[in-house]
Amino acid sequence: MKSASLRAVATIALSALVAASLILGLLPSYWIFLFTSAAIAGVVLQGIGIVAGRTGMISLCQMSFAGVGAWTVAWLSLHEVPGSLFLWILIGGAAAVPLGVAVGLPALRLRGINLAIVTLGFAAAFDDVLAATTFPGQTEFKFVTRPSLVESDEAYFAFCVAAFALVAIGLELMSRTRLGATWLAIRHSERATAAHGVSVPGGKLSAFALSAFVAGIGGGLLAGQLGTLVSDSFNLMQSLAVFVVATMVGARHAEGAAFGGILIVFVPELLRQFALPQDLGDILFAVGATQALSMGASTSETFRASLRRLRRRRAPSPAHIPAAPPIAAPLTSPCASSAAGARAPAVSIRGLTVRYGNVVALDQVDLIVPERAVTGLIGPNGAGKSTLIDAVTGFIRSYEGTLTMDGEPLDGLAAHQRARAGVRRTWQQTRIAPDLTVGAYVRLAAGRTVSQREIADILEWLDCPPHNELVAEIDIGTRRLLDIAGAVAARPRAIFLDEPAAGQSYEQSTRLAARIAELPDRFGTSVVLVEHDIDLVRRTCSTVTVLDFGRVIASGAPTAVLSDDAVVRAYLGAREEALAG
Amino acid sequence: MLTSALAGLAAGGTYALLGVCAVFTYRMVAVVNFTGAAIGAAGTFAMVLLNEQGVPLPAAVAMGIAFGALISALIGAVMARWFAGASAQTKAAVTVAILVGMIALGLRITGGQHPHRLPELFPGAAFSLAGVVITIAATVSILLAVAFTTGATLFLRHTRAGLQLRALSEHPMAAELTGIRTRLLTVLVWLVSGAASSLALMIVAPQRAPNFLSLSELIVPAFAAALLGFLRNFWLTVAGGIALGILEGVASNLVSLNQYRAGVPFLIILAILLWAQRGARWDEIR
Amino acid sequence: MKMRTWSPVAAMAALVATLTWLGGVSPAVAQSGPTCKDGAIKVGAVSTITGPADFSEVPKAAKAVFDQANAKGGINGCKIDYTIEDDKADPQAATQAARDLVDNKGVAVLTGSASLLDCAVNAGFYARQGVLSIQGLGVDPACYNSPSVSPVNVGPYVLSTAVLYYASTSLKLDKLCAFFIIIGGTQEAYKQAIVNWEKLSGKKIHLLDLTMPIQGDYTPFILKARDAGCQGVLFNHIEPGVVQLVKTAEAQQIKGIDWLFLAPAYTEQVAKALSGTTQPVYAGTEWEPFTDVKSPANKDWRAALTAAGQPLTAFTQGGYESATILIQVLKGINGPVTRASVTKALHDMKPITNSLVGTPYYFGPGKTHDSSRATKIVKLVNGKWNVQTPNWVILPQPKG
Repeated sequence: MKSASLRAVATIALSALVAASLILGLLPSYWIFLFTSAAIAGVVLQGIGIVAGRTGMISLCQMSFAGVGAWTVAWLSLHEVPGSLFLWILIGGAAAVPLGVAVGLPALRLRGINLAIVTLGFAAAFDDVLAATTFPGQTEFKFVTRPSLVESDEAYFAFCVAAFALVAIGLELMSRTRLGATWLAIRHSERATAAHGVSVPGGKLSAFALSAFVAGIGGGLLAGQLGTLVSDSFNLMQSLAVFVVATMVGARHAEGAAFGGILIVFVPELLRQFALPQDLGDILFAVGATQALSMGASTSETFRASLRRLRRRRAPSPAHIPAAPPIAAPLTSPCASSAAGARAPAVSIRGLTVRYGNVVALDQVDLIVPERAVTGLIGPNGAGKSTLIDAVTGFIRSYEGTLTMDGEPLDGLAAHQRARAGVRRTWQQTRIAPDLTVGAYVRLAAGRTVSQREIADILEWLDCPPHNELVAEIDIGTRRLLDIAGAVAARPRAIFLDEPAAGQSYEQSTRLAARIAELPDRFGTSVVLVEHDIDLVRRTCSTVTVLDFGRVIASGAPTAVLSDDAVVRAYLGAREEALAG
Repeated sequence: MLTSALAGLAAGGTYALLGVCAVFTYRMVAVVNFTGAAIGAAGTFAMVLLNEQGVPLPAAVAMGIAFGALISALIGAVMARWFAGASAQTKAAVTVAILVGMIALGLRITGGQHPHRLPELFPGAAFSLAGVVITIAATVSILLAVAFTTGATLFLRHTRAGLQLRALSEHPMAAELTGIRTRLLTVLVWLVSGAASSLALMIVAPQRAPNFLSLSELIVPAFAAALLGFLRNFWLTVAGGIALGILEGVASNLVSLNQYRAGVPFLIILAILLWAQRGARWDEIR
Repeated sequence: MKMRTWSPVAAMAALVATLTWLGGVSPAVAQSGPTCKDGAIKVGAVSTITGPADFSEVPKAAKAVFDQANAKGGINGCKIDYTIEDDKADPQAATQAARDLVDNKGVAVLTGSASLLDCAVNAGFYARQGVLSIQGLGVDPACYNSPSVSPVNVGPYVLSTAVLYYASTSLKLDKLCAFFIIIGGTQEAYKQAIVNWEKLSGKKIHLLDLTMPIQGDYTPFILKARDAGCQGVLFNHIEPGVVQLVKTAEAQQIKGIDWLFLAPAYTEQVAKALSGTTQPVYAGTEWEPFTDVKSPANKDWRAALTAAGQPLTAFTQGGYESATILIQVLKGINGPVTRASVTKALHDMKPITNSLVGTPYYFGPGKTHDSSRATKIVKLVNGKWNVQTPNWVILPQPKG
């Protein structure tokens, strides 16, 4: 992992260096000024890339945050606060953060579209406030002072490119942390992210705050470049335009943000060179952006996809066919076999009742999940199995009954808190963000510090692809295995597996059965297995509970339960003899 | 205080009506339509330009409404054709991009320098209340918001087409599969929304800056009203829009706050959201 | 023959002597006038042409004047090469436009610019590059507040003082109020304008509201003025806002208040849009009122612009004057016309009078420039603008 980070950082740094040198060496100062503006626009775009590109939240007030940064820098410069422009820009960025938090906070737990409208309202209100404010130094005809190191246009250009590269490097490193994976996961599925024990509002807020910081830095850089500011640079239409460009170019990638910056600055310049009216640029922008957005993927995503295809064509990787892998060394010492004796329950469900309006989905369900055992939960479609999992893991707000884990009540805890307490689940429909790598996903799901070694072991054990493969390139069946791997890596008290064998071949599900049976001994975790594949259930479970229409109709050892009349009737609708006769 | 509160009533009616259009579009076709007010401005200026060419006012109004509806349907067609399955972010980005282009085009055609003469559809005073003359236009816009909301609610609940529309909005794929003419219904939604916005702006534009850009920016308070209706409830949106207008009127009195006055409506919306999200639940789709 | 006694050497010497004399080697003797490289003097303008405002009439009028001068042979043979750039009221575009003119095209001076933000964005840049701007339409306060810009028009700040002055002295109004839209950087300028009026008139402003929103419903503010008992209210709104304000006053059936506006209100379109109103509407002009077709002061301007097929509005008066002044200044330069020599000429110039304005135009070396300080008041009567002050209302410079 380390070498990949180093490689990415080096690529960014090198490209920035080469580009800057070329521009400085070849172009006159007029063009250098334009490229400075492009670099600054690129910084702002990277900010949007965090909140919109990675986390999938629509933010329409980024230029307002930039305005805060710019205003702060101007103020610090006018009052000659020690530290020079370099420090002022950082302070400007920090000044935008509380505002970002304040704007983002109320809308975080609501649907994403509410945040979009809140940011729109904020941008409009901020517009009015900023328009009536005099920028510090404006009336005194004083300009933002640059330190002598970056006094000239050329030096300032180099400074802005360096700033862009630093932001890109910082974000690249961040994307390899758990927080970075959280952002991508939130974008794809908030439920799944919570099921990993991650606080979704916290993740969203961190993205929002960081994007405000980066935008503030962009504003500070602008203040340094122009020396004087007008409120129109940060108005609502600017925020809207910059959002569209960010979506178009895929600003969460550094090359996308760079391309977007160049677009923003050079299209109007092109119009000027051809003496065309400037508002034609806006019309072209509308048409071009709509066209680009209709492509489905942003320009940087398309670029990266074609790079990957190129790389694959040149060095085709061996097809990943899971042969019977050597079982890795046991990760925990195997203890006594799964004799369902007198064991304290890991999870205890008593009298669970869930109503959706008039429909009773679960009716007084009792279920004991014994420690270190695999419990089956079966029943025909619509019996309420997934509802039970949802209720236990915290995705249903109102239910009756009590849920306890190791004697401690789970009721009242939010989904991510229950996950952290030790209740994990997998999903019937896989909700793994495709942009993550396998290793990043497992680390995100684990929630604790896991070593490289341990991740590799778990992945191999479950026939999953290696850690640096992209989830987008994995088939659905394997993704379900990855889902289990993530849950397992967290070493929880109990895992609820929701139809893990769906979409697997016979061999695969046989192997999966073996793995599931080993889970309690190897990892010390209890398993609740929801399945339609009765063979799998027979092979893995020490106890089976049957649900039908929300009620428990049978519970006990697998052989007994599966030959129970009531169970057969529930599945088939009539007794075998009656049908045959 | 009452005077300034009532003075904001005219604005409130506009926000209410535009807000209801926004919620209608969002609920029915799942698009956050940032061009809502710009569409209304297009219809309004079509009416103005036709009237200036000598077309009598009623005919110009009808043609203006038709023009606004047409532009709206065009945008709806673009959204349905290429962005039906796109993420919410992409759809929002597209309507924002279209808005930027529309404003540039609108300013070019209607000329940003000299004001056109905007004929008043409902001139004159309705009644006087607490020292404020409530204009007929203000009354009509509020009544129109209420009428549109009532009509939309009744239509959705009690007619067959309304039922099909609700099915479409809940699950477009399933609606298509059960034989509901989704494309027709989608176009219908955009047409109606465009016509309503055009009429709304025609009524109130004489009272506001007759400038394409400023009329298009009415989408901001419209969405604020929609937000107060939690993007679901029409009646709350109407109430929210009127409340916003009144709030703006009241805030204009708070001279001590100076320019920060602009933040008052926004802060109140934030507070309402904070209160509302204590009962937030998981998004069904994800 | 006598002619053939002219030797080539003598001819050569005579030629050299003439050339040397023409080259101005001894400047004390030579009164040669302006010269130029490549036969052209480069002049530029940054204006808001597309976008939320359209001030293109100003630089176009300046261009018409330059074209007419070029047609007559230019200035001492030098043609004026005039470039108009559009900034669409976008700060980024304004910066690039200024840099294009100053760095790429190398203009010697800027003339006839009319922009919402050229001064605010670029005045510092102009100062650093040593280029000056004879602004054709100064809008933001930086135009009146920088060493590198001197507008030909009065500007909203001095004009506010002047209009209030007229209201308190000629209309004899006691309770005067002012409602201003404040956008970036203008707050201090407007406040100072009010203070200047208070010093001149000895009265105090009855109500000053600096919080009008840029757009929105104006009913609350009209009512506030009425309830405060204002007898005259000054607004700084531009055209659409003017119409909206008067219409709102109509709708609210206000009586007994004089509505005072600044130069943007004085257009034919406003007169047409408000033709049916009974409200008393006044406006302060920045030039000799253009609707006064009989006025002899407007003769030259009318002739020039009609010949060029340009509209006859207050905007074109500004463009016309800025171009005329530049030509006069250029004519006074001896030697090559460069950025440095034009800047020097503008710094050293003597005030130039022009029939379009009541005070002479002046640049000079000062840090601020607001040389145009005279106005004429017009009133809207039956859909037509009526000149109320046959003589200029000239505002003295504030003391101290």
